[in-house]
Amino acid sequence: MKLLKYLTGFLIYTVIFIGFHPEIIHAKDVKDTQSLCYECHAKRVEELTKKAIVHQPVKDGKCTGCHNPHASKHSGLLAYTGSALCYNCHDQKKGFAGIIVHKPVAEGNCLVCHDAHSSDRKGLLKKTEAEGCFSCHAKEGIIAKKNVHPEVKRGRCTACHNPHSSDREGLLIRDRKSLCAGCHSGADAAFVKAHFGYKVGGTDCLGCHSPHSSDRKGLMKASLHKPFAENKCTACHPVGASTVIKNNSGLCTECHKASLAGFDKINSHLIAAATDNFCISCHNPHASDEKNLLKDKEARVCYGCHNDTKEYVARSNHKHPRLETCSDCHTSHGSNNQFFLTKGSDTCAMENCHAAQGRFTHPIGEKIIDPRSKTPMNCSTCHNPMGSPESAILRFEKDRELCIQCHQV
Amino acid sequence: MRNIVKLGSEKRELQRQAEGLRPKKDRRKRNLPAFSLKPSVLPLILFCILFFAVVSFAEEKGGIKTVAVIAGDESMGRLKQPSGLFFDEIKKRLYVADSGNGRLISFDSDFKYLAELTNDTIALPTSLVKDKEGHFFVLDSGKGDIVFIDLEKKLVKSFPLSGVPSAHEQFVPGRMAIDQDNRLYIIDKLNKRIIVAEPTGVFVREITVKDKGFSGFIDVRVDDNGEIYALDTIGGQVYVFDEKGNVISRFGGRDNKNNFRFPISLAVDKNGLIYVVDQHAGKILVFDRKGVFQYAISRPGVKEGELADPSYIFIDKEGRIYTIDSNRIQVFQEEKR
Repeated sequence: MKLLKYLTGFLIYTVIFIGFHPEIIHAKDVKDTQSLCYECHAKRVEELTKKAIVHQPVKDGKCTGCHNPHASKHSGLLAYTGSALCYNCHDQKKGFAGIIVHKPVAEGNCLVCHDAHSSDRKGLLKKTEAEGCFSCHAKEGIIAKKNVHPEVKRGRCTACHNPHSSDREGLLIRDRKSLCAGCHSGADAAFVKAHFGYKVGGTDCLGCHSPHSSDRKGLMKASLHKPFAENKCTACHPVGASTVIKNNSGLCTECHKASLAGFDKINSHLIAAATDNFCISCHNPHASDEKNLLKDKEARVCYGCHNDTKEYVARSNHKHPRLETCSDCHTSHGSNNQFFLTKGSDTCAMENCHAAQGRFTHPIGEKIIDPRSKTPMNCSTCHNPMGSPESAILRFEKDRELCIQCHQV
Repeated sequence: MRNIVKLGSEKRELQRQAEGLRPKKDRRKRNLPAFSLKPSVLPLILFCILFFAVVSFAEEKGGIKTVAVIAGDESMGRLKQPSGLFFDEIKKRLYVADSGNGRLISFDSDFKYLAELTNDTIALPTSLVKDKEGHFFVLDSGKGDIVFIDLEKKLVKSFPLSGVPSAHEQFVPGRMAIDQDNRLYIIDKLNKRIIVAEPTGVFVREITVKDKGFSGFIDVRVDDNGEIYALDTIGGQVYVFDEKGNVISRFGGRDNKNNFRFPISLAVDKNGLIYVVDQHAGKILVFDRKGVFQYAISRPGVKEGELADPSYIFIDKEGRIYTIDSNRIQVFQEEKR
């Protein structure tokens, strides 16, 4: 009986000890957050963890690595929003910073491509590599043509591009001259034959070849320079040599004499170039996907020298919709109008773009003098076509500031 | 509740003081500087802020007075794409290449319009200089030619250069300058060099640089000591050469926000300060010979004294600054700094 008494006492004590001992209480409280979260989010957690790749904090049950269990001003009870949350673990300086930063990365939208918890794809990607890229970059413009680059066909965009950042245009993983050499050897017999024995190793393959798809054989770009299309390499090159028969613009102007007259203007782009032949500064002598055999997209060609304009345009909230096609308003070779404008102050009304403007809005023209500058008013008196922080690319705030520049009470 | 606590703490503090104890430091104020702001000081602070703002604004304006604004009138018509100008110190006249109107025009020392010169030989005058004998040398960008004008003899003719060493591109003349010995300094646009020639057109020397990133000269000036100042727009570099063409100094850049955006023209004053017009910044930036930034003049805008995409600068012997911006000429006089 006495033993029973002792046993009961021991049991009561044990129950009290286990139930109320401070260390035991603490241990109960610090139960890993995963288990704690699982109590309510069991179904979700099960979903998250059954995929092939699970984000390390999820795997470790560190839900509080990203979520605040009590309160947050961000949706999903997140501690921070956007990339600020990710950069807590993933060093921004390592791989996410460069001269060119992919737009979603720059905007801090990591979750555009990645799933924060788990995925069946490497890198916690939400979609396959190609599906992910094509959700922003129109597929039609990349692979719609007859011949598709094998890596593109496989959907391996990252074979050439870094999806986060790069110091090279187009987020390329290597510079343009060595990018292709990683797979295509210049010593390969088929390669040599395709280039008629001319040594093209170390040149910019992307100058002539489309890296994604093309309707032409060998992924050649759409427009070909006539001698090149006719395989008349010796029109410009000595037989078998990669050098040129004339080391200056005379090589081009011998055929394109009329083009020279376009430079004889008040404002002229007849300027020295990094290359011996200044024509090559803007044009590709072999092939191009752009009009007039431009060596790259028009804006890129212009921004090559006008880099400060590129920066200005990039930071402007409101922009003219056709800024990517500089030649819509500017004459590339030369012009007698300010800023190389095609038709001076009438440029805005060209091709009926803004033909009606000026007839029913504020009067403009040679006889309407801006009291501030003492010069005739035109569209650019009030608008800055290169971009502005104000709506309608106005130079000043539209409700008051703009008008009181001239109309002072 | 908070008020009650506060009252309680104040009461305790009063009690401490009554007991002769030192007042207890407020933990919330422990790290604050040990002074209090008296209301009487506020007007003084306000005055200082306003004074600082006014001084800063004056600095932005560069302590500069606008002497004249020339855009055109009924007598001379409107200026159309003026591209070059200079002030003739001997005749005290301002000469302007009014390129879009295909004419040269002159103004008196008060900048009143005097006369215009048009000639079939000159299609698009864009740069002009005058020698001590009164002969003009005008760059015609329409023909890519230099034109010699002798007004006394009523002679207008092409001015060929002789003995110029061949280069890989054809010679296309750009802006010009002239020195005290009447030697011409002509930019060879495609060959990235400056050709120095006698007033007869005989070649003297060429000036160039071999810098990486050098993209050719856009503007050139010569000071009274024969030192040559040249500007590379795309490279964003100012070069100073001695009279033999050796580089004395170079400065600038377009690679970050502290450098030039689009430097388009330069001038030198009698003190050797170099004035660079930055077209896209809408300012004149002043440097010493070593490239140390001194101050900026004007700001972007179209009002009198402001610069709307300036394209050219010239400084006369009296220190007046002439600029061309958006179909107008402005003349500034710097006030004493």
